[in-house]
Amino acid sequence: MTSPEAPVARFTETREFLDQIRSRVGTVVVGQDVVVERVLIALLTSGHLLLQGVPGLAKTLLVAAISKTVDLSFARIQFTIDLLPSDIVGSEILDQKSNDFRVHQGPIFTNLLLADEINRAAPKVQSALLEAMQERSVTIGGQGFVLPAPFLVIATQNPVEQAGTFELPEAQLDRFMLLHRLEYLKPEEEKEVLRRNTKLGVRRDGKGAVARTEFDVLDGQDKGSAEQLVRAMEDVQEVHVSEAFLEHVIEIVNRTRNHPLLELGCSPRAGISLVKASRARALIHGRDYVVPEDMFALAEDVILHRIRLSYEAVADGFTSQQVLQEILGEVAK
Amino acid sequence: MNRAAKLLSAALLCVGWAAAQQRDVREATVGMRAYVDQVVLAGTALAPVASTSKSPVMVRVVKAWPHGEHLRYDLEWVGFEAGTYDLTDYLAREDGSTTDDLPALNVEVVSVLPENMFEPSALAANPGESLGGYSQLQVSVVALWAIGLFAILFLGRPRKPAAVVAAAEPTLADRLRPLVERVGRGDAEEREKAELERLLVAFWRARLDLGDMKVADAVMAIRADDRAGALLRHVEEWLHAPNPPDGVDVGELLAPYRSVTADQLQPEAR
Repeated sequence: MTSPEAPVARFTETREFLDQIRSRVGTVVVGQDVVVERVLIALLTSGHLLLQGVPGLAKTLLVAAISKTVDLSFARIQFTIDLLPSDIVGSEILDQKSNDFRVHQGPIFTNLLLADEINRAAPKVQSALLEAMQERSVTIGGQGFVLPAPFLVIATQNPVEQAGTFELPEAQLDRFMLLHRLEYLKPEEEKEVLRRNTKLGVRRDGKGAVARTEFDVLDGQDKGSAEQLVRAMEDVQEVHVSEAFLEHVIEIVNRTRNHPLLELGCSPRAGISLVKASRARALIHGRDYVVPEDMFALAEDVILHRIRLSYEAVADGFTSQQVLQEILGEVAK
Repeated sequence: MNRAAKLLSAALLCVGWAAAQQRDVREATVGMRAYVDQVVLAGTALAPVASTSKSPVMVRVVKAWPHGEHLRYDLEWVGFEAGTYDLTDYLAREDGSTTDDLPALNVEVVSVLPENMFEPSALAANPGESLGGYSQLQVSVVALWAIGLFAILFLGRPRKPAAVVAAAEPTLADRLRPLVERVGRGDAEEREKAELERLLVAFWRARLDLGDMKVADAVMAIRADDRAGALLRHVEEWLHAPNPPDGVDVGELLAPYRSVTADQLQPEAR
């Protein structure tokens, strides 16, 4: 028998394209291979991604680095309490020359949107963004506008400093295909971060100079084309999903709905997201078919933000992570 | 209508109103007050005779007016015993002269009770409030509370599953064997194939002692293992690949799991 893990020939170009992105991002972001993989999965499936982690884990740097490795338009919005929906979507402004109203498109008209600290904005603003994420179109002054394709929102939120924040409700969290929780780096990775930081140097600017940051590292380097990205997105659709794999997904989804410690189980969208994300992961790993490893690897990111513990489970000190691990353990027991 | 006629009409109305106001009740039940108004009685002024507890009737002069040479009275009376009585018997002259010249002023006192019923109904026996006995009450309440607590703790709870029941659950090996047989014969449904694959993961988790690891990490560790990884990947290719390799012998593929015993589920010495 031949080795089933040999990369599939027809995806060679896509694999090279994805490897280039990973290696370029790897030059500025250290030790976040899993997060880079999750961003690529979101990019390839047009699913949206929510990154959760304490400050300083390179969430913003990672997204900025991705945007600099592919020829995509990029915008960043820092969410604050006084942000308005029109600050994101755009508004009508009076053109004093023509004495007529003119539509001013907001920063949402981009391919890759970084919504930094999304939970700091008021629910009205969150809803405006999430509606656009779902429908991929916005309405300004009664006129509908389709957002550019591809359109991907990568939002971040901070699990600490909850004062003055508005937690996203389950229905809105469900719009995010993946919610990835970032962990601290391993000691050797952190050492590498420090080592690279010492070599950044300064950047001359006119007569003066400023210290270079990691954000400057990728400036001026080659980018992958949008066409390559589109081809990779098409390749994801070629990844085969077997009936047996669908059985695995249904088994997990149903177990979340019937678990005694869970008040809210997975929505059908969770199952769809799990399959979509698994296909992208399979492609990234050089397979033209999904295997249970893809599902188990992505289950936490796809499912955890879509389930809610019962009151009794919270009172007994259980966490969603424990319950999900128990479910996954039961599936493979 | 002239002025005289108007005055006459007004006077008639006043007389009519006064007549309507005049009361002349000559019959009343025991204990009820009644009135006889505007009675003209000749002679000097009259006053009620002092009544006693034995008096069957009590009379009160409400008001008296001069009426020519006589006096006109409003009388109030109350009867205490059934019978016919002359109210003038209970009036006396203020100047002490006789009242024999007064005409009879008869009234009727009627009883609503049956005849000859003089005694009130017998009272119902009242057991009265129990006094004392608080110590016994306390002891009873504590005893009831203890019984209730015992019932909650021991009677209302589902019994712990007996060890026998746990032992009766099919082991991983028991579940694996028939599935391997069915899939090997080629008559298994997709659901059973998927279950078989999950059981194979469970088998290797147990075999490689990866039970404490997250499932995702355990699956990656199994795939990275030389023997388990190779076996599992071939099963994956057969189950999930769009074009499984030709001539895959499923029997051979699943041969290592055909006769799994409980010993084989123990972690391998590494």
